[in-house]
Amino acid sequence: MVQTETKGLGLMSTGRKLGLKARAARCLVCTLVCTSMVTGCWDDRELSELGITSGSAYDWEDNQWKATYQVINPSSGASSMGGGGGGSGSSPPFLTFTVKGNTIMDAIDRSNLTSTREMFFSHSRVTVIGEKLARRGINQLIDFFLRKQDARETVYVFIAKGNAGDILNQLMQLTKNQGAGIQLMIEQEARLTSYFPGVRLFQLAMALSSESGSAVIPEILLTGDEIMDETSETGRTDLPSRLALGRLGVLKGDRLVGWLSQQEAFGLSFLTNKINQASLSFPTQPETSAKIDGSFLLQHASTKIRPVWENDHYVMDVSITGSGVITEIGSPMDLNNRASIAQMERTIGENILETVKQSWVSVKRLNADVTGFAMTIHRSDRKRWKQIEADKSWDEVFGNIEIRPRIHVSIERMGLSNKSFKTVQQD
Amino acid sequence: MNNPKSKSRKNGLEPVENSVPAPLPLDVSLDANLQALEQRIGQSSDVVIRRFTNESLSSLSLAFVYIDGLVNSETINRTLLQPLMETFTPEGASITPDDAFSLIKDQVLPIGGVKEGKTLESLLALLFEGYTLIFLDGLQQALAADTSGSEKRSINEPTSQGVIRGPKEGFTESLRTGTSMLRRRLKTSDLRIEEYKIGQRTQTGVALVYINGLASEQVIAEIRRRLDAIHTDAILESNYIEEFIQDGGLTPFPTIQNTERPDAMAGGILEGQVGILIDGTPFALLAPSTFFNFFQSSEDYYQRFDISSFLRLIRYSAFFVSMLLPALYIAVTTFHQEMLPTTLLISLAAQREGVPLPALAEALLMELTFDVLREAGVRMPRTIGPAISIVGALVLGQSAVQAGLVSAAMVIVVSFTAISNFVIPSLAIANSIRLIRFVMMLIAATLGLFGIMSFLMVLLIHMAGLRSFGVPYLSPVAPMTPRYLKDIFIRVPLWNMTTRPKTNLGKETRRQGPHQEPKPAEGKPQPEQGGSSS
Repeated sequence: MVQTETKGLGLMSTGRKLGLKARAARCLVCTLVCTSMVTGCWDDRELSELGITSGSAYDWEDNQWKATYQVINPSSGASSMGGGGGGSGSSPPFLTFTVKGNTIMDAIDRSNLTSTREMFFSHSRVTVIGEKLARRGINQLIDFFLRKQDARETVYVFIAKGNAGDILNQLMQLTKNQGAGIQLMIEQEARLTSYFPGVRLFQLAMALSSESGSAVIPEILLTGDEIMDETSETGRTDLPSRLALGRLGVLKGDRLVGWLSQQEAFGLSFLTNKINQASLSFPTQPETSAKIDGSFLLQHASTKIRPVWENDHYVMDVSITGSGVITEIGSPMDLNNRASIAQMERTIGENILETVKQSWVSVKRLNADVTGFAMTIHRSDRKRWKQIEADKSWDEVFGNIEIRPRIHVSIERMGLSNKSFKTVQQD
Repeated sequence: MNNPKSKSRKNGLEPVENSVPAPLPLDVSLDANLQALEQRIGQSSDVVIRRFTNESLSSLSLAFVYIDGLVNSETINRTLLQPLMETFTPEGASITPDDAFSLIKDQVLPIGGVKEGKTLESLLALLFEGYTLIFLDGLQQALAADTSGSEKRSINEPTSQGVIRGPKEGFTESLRTGTSMLRRRLKTSDLRIEEYKIGQRTQTGVALVYINGLASEQVIAEIRRRLDAIHTDAILESNYIEEFIQDGGLTPFPTIQNTERPDAMAGGILEGQVGILIDGTPFALLAPSTFFNFFQSSEDYYQRFDISSFLRLIRYSAFFVSMLLPALYIAVTTFHQEMLPTTLLISLAAQREGVPLPALAEALLMELTFDVLREAGVRMPRTIGPAISIVGALVLGQSAVQAGLVSAAMVIVVSFTAISNFVIPSLAIANSIRLIRFVMMLIAATLGLFGIMSFLMVLLIHMAGLRSFGVPYLSPVAPMTPRYLKDIFIRVPLWNMTTRPKTNLGKETRRQGPHQEPKPAEGKPQPEQGGSSS
């Protein structure tokens, strides 16, 4: 049997190129040893050395950056099957660190003085900017995000009135990872309600550096007074304080210049073609009563904007088309009647028109081009744009813009019944 | 590697050579011959030497020699003893030993194979094959009658390559049974079976099987040359041959297939491969073999083509899983955490929380444990099978996780890797992957995904350079021949496979006629008048 073993090795020595092969093998071994020694695992990070941040918040306090990091606490993970062992239910799903520094990186470095783990930003989902910081200017923050290797530009940006760090302390229900929870909230909102577009950091950077130089950031706020930051409180079915989306912050340059209400933000979504799906309430019989008793689910909407130079100012031809389904009717109506449907379409259209106009008034008041009209004009009328750019007169031109919105809404379906239930009852 | 040892191994043939004495011609005297014989084979208890005389042969002394256990004693009694002991010449006629010899050979023995031998050597060779030697006094030659009939295992279902649908018979240890099974499947006069005796001490029968015209002449010539060049004392299993004849080079990949299934072998031979059967093992070899051959199972052709194609794609993915999954786990958890979805990362982090080992150590520990369990499962007596699975699954898997030695995810990775490994139909390549997996893990731990990618490229380059008897290992993918991809990643319907794979091509390339796809008879079924008019 000894014989057979030597034969097993004999594979290498069968050929005549023994010397060559041995040299090649030695070379390979050397390379392998060198790779593992020289390049080695110098940049490896075990999972247990990482503080996975799910969100960060930045404030301006005492002329310093105040950064708050929300770090996921893995040992509270639901999968208690793991080696965690002591994953007791009372440990919070995340921990927050607040650190101050002259620069953001300074603050992050100081977090290493307080944390056992290296901050790891690649899984951050949201970043919250305090109002004070937003009023001071956020370009340094954007620069930091674009520059740092493990920071992602896809984080959603929010503005918080007051202290942004508090937002990250609030526990959310139905989610262990609050950063991801906020992200889900804004994504879902943008998809289903379309009041606020979710703004990612790169979009913010692009908007601020575009011709308009303006951008919007949704506000995130606490609905109650106190912060619910104790794990025991998630045991309640209804928290007295929750995270909610509030208004829309308007930035010009890199500073916060004002707010748009939800309704105004909704109008802006129409103007900027950011509508995915939205629910609208309207009076079904505006002639007889102003009672709002119908709902319309706008399923598709698109906005086309055409700038027209008229005498001395721009007029924006805004044409909005939309279609959707009727989801609720509170008055007796015969839907077999084509005229009543046309009537409803008209009413819905007027409602939207009203919203858009109101929104435009507010935008104009702030004189921040969050509608992106500058880009539209640049694209459609390059000559005049060059002139405007040379004169640096965009603010003035923007202030004189008129909008001429037109809307066409079509009701595509009305559900299963051609009559409202009220009609059925009355019959 | 190139220490003095290997040199001595190279010249290590001398002991083998010395053990072979020069051929010894037989003596005239029966006693002298028997004595010489006894001297050569010693006083072994299984050697039966029986002397007798027969009246009708002028009281000539005769002797039979056979080895008990290799012969069928029934045959000896009926076809040797009985006729030889009877009277078969006219009374009183005196016969010379020469006459007696031809008389016995031509008239007396009712037996198929009778050979003559003039040297002790040639006779001994026959003796060990189960022949019975018949010595006559006063003659310098002897007869050998084929009385072989040793104990044989009956034909059973192949254990290593089972199928659900398809023939259930596998090769046995007997070379003759193997060739007969092939002969029964390939009833063509072009089937060639060439026999070799390899191994000084074992004299193992090796049969080269191919179809003349289908197999490439160069390949056959090359295999013959390599078989002839084998100079060893023992061939106990087909792997001995495999290692001697496979294309050299340091490679983890097998370049010769082995199979236990006659139908798979017949299939290979029909595609122009050359089969090598080895006496004493049910595993036969098929060469030349490309990488993709190892992913084809004979059952692929016994079930619908769509199902086979799907299964084959699954096998290729299993190949990658089995090779890369632990390495990916290591790379991702130690270098590229940003690549994982957040929820998965958190769940992994939660599991890794209490684990004291780095990911590489964790993975190596579990993978090695699995390999130990697997090896134990193969070696242990059948009766303690359940014990192994309990120890493996419960004691090691479950409690290692609970004790916080490894994470649950790692157990999943290891088991999925292992199961993927079992999907690959050829054990030869599955074992290669097992080996590559460990290298891959080490590389992943030092260089991350970059290392995995680089190593994959190195592997690919290596494979592209490999050859099996002149056939590029990755053909027909590299070099690319789209026409021959019909049986590689997917299996097209049989009627579409009109040509044999080019890789092993002999002269005849066409397998079957074209346009054999099933379709309705020409023309539409029509009313009677319409039919008659056309």
